[in-house]
Amino acid sequence: MSIKTKINLISVSLSLAVTLVIVSLLLLFINQNPAEIFTIIFNEVFTSGYGIGQTLFKATPLIICGCGLAICFHASLFNIGAEGQLNAGSFIIAIVALKFSFLPFPLLLLLCIVCGFIVSGIFGLIPAYIKVKKGVNEVITTIMFNFIILALVNYFLLEFFAVKATMRTEKIAETDMLFKLSDYIPFFNGSSLNAAFLIAILVSILTYVLIYKTKFGYRLRAVGFNETASRYIGLKTDKIILIAFFLGAGITSLVGINFVFGYKGFYELGFSNNVGFTAIAVALLAKNNPIGVIFSSLLFAVLDYGGLSVNQLVPKEIMLVVQGIIILAILSIDRLVNNYYEMKN
Amino acid sequence: MKAVEFKNISKSFGNCIANEDISFGIEKNSVHCILGENGAGKSTLMKMLFGIYKPDNGVIRVFDKEVSFTSPHDAIDVKIGMVHQHFMLIDDFTVLENVILGNELTKGIKIDFRETKKLLNELIDKYNLGLNTDKKISEISISEQQKVEILKLLFRDSEILIFDEPTAVLSPIEVKEFFKIIDEFKSNGKTIILITHKLNEVKEISDKVSVLRRGKLVYEQVNDRKLDIETLSRTIVGEAALITLIKSEEKEHLKDNDEEVLSLKNIHYVRNKVKVLDELNLQLRKGEIHGICGVEGNGQNEIVDIITGLQKDYTGEVLKKVKKISLVPDDRIKKGMIKEFTIGENIFLKDEEKNIITKSALQKISQKIKDDYDVRLGDINSSLSSLSGGNQQKVIVAREIELDNAVLIFSHPTRGVDINATLFIHSKIIDERNKGKSILLISSDLDELVSLSDRLSVLDNGKIVKTFEPGELNVPDKSEISLEMDIETSKPLYEQIGKLMIGITQ
Repeated sequence: MSIKTKINLISVSLSLAVTLVIVSLLLLFINQNPAEIFTIIFNEVFTSGYGIGQTLFKATPLIICGCGLAICFHASLFNIGAEGQLNAGSFIIAIVALKFSFLPFPLLLLLCIVCGFIVSGIFGLIPAYIKVKKGVNEVITTIMFNFIILALVNYFLLEFFAVKATMRTEKIAETDMLFKLSDYIPFFNGSSLNAAFLIAILVSILTYVLIYKTKFGYRLRAVGFNETASRYIGLKTDKIILIAFFLGAGITSLVGINFVFGYKGFYELGFSNNVGFTAIAVALLAKNNPIGVIFSSLLFAVLDYGGLSVNQLVPKEIMLVVQGIIILAILSIDRLVNNYYEMKN
Repeated sequence: MKAVEFKNISKSFGNCIANEDISFGIEKNSVHCILGENGAGKSTLMKMLFGIYKPDNGVIRVFDKEVSFTSPHDAIDVKIGMVHQHFMLIDDFTVLENVILGNELTKGIKIDFRETKKLLNELIDKYNLGLNTDKKISEISISEQQKVEILKLLFRDSEILIFDEPTAVLSPIEVKEFFKIIDEFKSNGKTIILITHKLNEVKEISDKVSVLRRGKLVYEQVNDRKLDIETLSRTIVGEAALITLIKSEEKEHLKDNDEEVLSLKNIHYVRNKVKVLDELNLQLRKGEIHGICGVEGNGQNEIVDIITGLQKDYTGEVLKKVKKISLVPDDRIKKGMIKEFTIGENIFLKDEEKNIITKSALQKISQKIKDDYDVRLGDINSSLSSLSGGNQQKVIVAREIELDNAVLIFSHPTRGVDINATLFIHSKIIDERNKGKSILLISSDLDELVSLSDRLSVLDNGKIVKTFEPGELNVPDKSEISLEMDIETSKPLYEQIGKLMIGITQ
């Protein structure tokens, strides 16, 4: 294990420990017994196949989205627009799935993936283009694009595609749905966990290879570390930034595959439940390592699903507080651990 | 009276001993030079004096009082000031705002700008700094920025002034100006500590010299104006014999050589309504080293940017006979490398062929460059940030040479690089020329330019004001290494070039 991985592991575990302490205090403050709460969560999440399945299911969109963001973050591009990007793609996925339902399933799925990817990608490309050409900070443009995209999707959905009196599209054919893992592995006992989870794992592995093993990945990271140097070294930094944003945003559209093809069978307004923002925290916690993203997604999924189980005892806002504390802890403790190692050396 | 006294100072980082049992004193009201290669421990020692590091062992005394600093703040309190190699200035602030930051004069709750300005202008006049306090840092040259750093120290009334390689970024004329400022400090009773690589300067300005090598004090000498440069350079690099750099003498062929590989014709470039390049004409011929000298900021970087295609908003013609050009940029940290990457990864960045790369392939590249270019590092998997400046520069030079392009640009290739690495890089540049490569060499180090160049152009205000053709640069004993070049005999040529650089044409 290299020193760097060691430092990362230490700082992540320390952060989690600190979070645990703070949350316990918080629970005590609202007159709950932390041990009891944690036990309930643990039992709910880990003692049944259904619980584990649901947790993995909750982790799926986070893994996908976290990997997309990791690509952007490696280039030091702070993409805050995943929420909008993934909604654009998911909406298109549902529409294409409905309009081309005559196609055989594998072909239809492929078409949807490609269309979703391109649409989400383009919505990532626009802010990147504005940044490259005019130097406008991507944080501002991506935030603004969240509003624009959600408003547009809202309009088109309600005006042209929504089932009457609902906020969703029609359902795609049952035969076009992805298989549930519980169909093959009875252990998961009817949970919503579906083949999209496997896609998410594949995305994570591919992203890892892209970032750490390919030429493009090296160049991407070089741009992230030092854009000026990269330009002088002769890299086409503008092109790299555009591609990174296209890929990163494009990947987020796969969240729609999980929801449309794997879960409900339709696109529904607000389905994403802020995954695009939570994924920022997921990627940060994983230090933008796509494999790490799997684990940080799992943690957030445990909080999410476990939070439901203690809903009657603890307001669900507490779980949001926990997520926030984890981020703050990781950011500050990371510095401390790094400084400590520098001192030692 | 001693201004500073180090007693048995030791400091180590992990297994690496940076300073070992160093004891010496610095007289009040003197100019004390500290010499040594990169990594010899000069900066560590100074950082302890400035409160950035704490010594593991030993005592530092300032004006006969024992001190124990926990931060630079404590050092500033006892009137120690330091000008770092990389300036600590805020680009968007004016000179005045930068200088007073942290020491604001107030009137009620407001900053008293009028009084401050008066005070600063008095200091500027007294020390002949020639600064405009209302200009933003981003609008002034590097040498002016250095003066802002100096003004900061004066404003804080520092008595002991530490300069970390102050002349590395200055042209010969600016160096002279800088020395005048130093003299002025001395006559005002201040103590000056200079960290430097340039031996000629040491001879000219120092009262006393201390040489560090591998963390130890190895040599001390009072400068009685007979300081022997050869002895000095030997103590600096140690037993390692100096490589003798002999420029091949077959330069005759260059005289009638007019095969141009690169040519800039009537280049105009305007930035923020300021003419940066003005009808610039420059030709690079096959197999020559074409030096360009000039005061920093006269268009050198823009020439590089235009040739490499990074800058496109110019008028005029650029003719390139080659597709690719190697570039060793002027600022290695900002422009030359990704310091978080290993050697192999930095080399790989320019690789056009492979799309997937394995760890073992990267290690192989690292090992090859380490061996071929004498890069000194412990672990080939460590990032460039753990290397000394000279070794980082070797990696960049290696990358550009290994590309095997017919044209190479070296911009300040040995700035802030120690003697051994400098000699090594010089020999590599000459090797490349002897292989028939064409080299554009931009530098502010006249010794380097005169000893390496076949043809030398002087740049002033975005224009080439004179080109010395092969044969015109004949300094007696040119075959000697640049270090030992005889200052006396080369004086007329240097004076001529110096004058051209500031716009005086005979």
